[in-house]
Amino acid sequence: MSERSRQVAELNARYLACPSCDALFERPALEPGQRARCPRCHEVIATNKHRGTERTTALMMASLIVYLVAVMFPFMSMERSGLSNRISVIDAVSVLWSNGMMLLAVVSGLLILVIPATRISLILALNASLARNEFARSKQAFLLRMAQHLEPWAMADIFMIGVIVSLVKIGSLARIEVGPAFWAMSSLIVFMAMATSAACKDSAWQRIRPW
Amino acid sequence: MVTKLATEQGLALCRSCGTLTDQPGERCVVCGARTRSLDDSGLQAVWAFWIAGVLAYIPGNVLPIMVTQSVSGTTESTIMGGVISLIHHGSYAIAAVIFIASIAVPVSKFLVIAWLALSIQRRWPTSEHTRHRAHHAIEIIGRWSMIDVFVVAALAALIQIGGLLTIAPGIGINAFALSVVLTMFSAMSLDPRLIWSNPAPIKAPSDE
Repeated sequence: MSERSRQVAELNARYLACPSCDALFERPALEPGQRARCPRCHEVIATNKHRGTERTTALMMASLIVYLVAVMFPFMSMERSGLSNRISVIDAVSVLWSNGMMLLAVVSGLLILVIPATRISLILALNASLARNEFARSKQAFLLRMAQHLEPWAMADIFMIGVIVSLVKIGSLARIEVGPAFWAMSSLIVFMAMATSAACKDSAWQRIRPW
Repeated sequence: MVTKLATEQGLALCRSCGTLTDQPGERCVVCGARTRSLDDSGLQAVWAFWIAGVLAYIPGNVLPIMVTQSVSGTTESTIMGGVISLIHHGSYAIAAVIFIASIAVPVSKFLVIAWLALSIQRRWPTSEHTRHRAHHAIEIIGRWSMIDVFVVAALAALIQIGGLLTIAPGIGINAFALSVVLTMFSAMSLDPRLIWSNPAPIKAPSDE
């Protein structure tokens, strides 16, 4: 450990600041399952959840499987007057491209498909590295930091609400059937929400810190 | 209650991993993110994204977001037009979802961010707890405004049956999506510690 890390370690062994209101406290010692709130602004400032790494690993593996189903299988089909059309999730993005909206197609592709997949991969890679007790702190820190940054931009959940709204909108115009990818995508948003609530960022950072 | 602030002690918390540093401005020794003292967190970025977001919201509402081609001709619909036609068809719940996600949430987000930024700049004596909760709320709700973009994408992908009925995305949806993204950036740029750093003047205890 470098001299600088040692100084920061000493400071952090004693103190903790609230990320929301900047109040400074003596660092509380938390038992598993406990959490600390800031007395000034009431924000949760420290958590120590049970088995955060193990539970997020399980949920992210499940997410990865249903993600692959969601991308590869038919999403929905419609039929009207003998004419039918079957689409995959990727078609919902590529239709924007083929209508000349390249930028929006790229942004939607990122929000619906690329960022959720990236987040799953980052967290699985991080947890694998932590589980093997690898000495690769800067890599682990990078993985967790990126996963945190991407969190608000993974919009598979919003996409599914949009799809349900569109189904209701056209329910009277055509006969709609949902395919395996629809249920896979629905499971994906449940698993990812469960993973977010099971994850304990504080414990993960604590395992990455060199002290 | 007398509380010490990290900034007053020359300390800063890394916003990424929660490690305290006594050299604000250095790269965090744990995660490598740039640490920032509260004194450097201005509202410049908040206002810049806010103005750009408001500007993009206007064409997003005025221009059509969806073009429907059917045997009876071509119709273009705007966001508000879509809500009104849903009401005419009796789909009140869906009309409410679209109205809330595409109009009520973005507009209230603009108002809340402007109110928060002004209250920080002008040191308005509004309760910090109220402002803190408002900031929390817009950070959580803001991303849901993308619903309308995905509704249009799903409809356009699905409804493609030759000359009978075809839906295409309209140009306005680009501006609308841009506005949602810019407003998310604006809300994220607002450092919540600023809300608490200029506490309202404490009322002197009166002897009643």
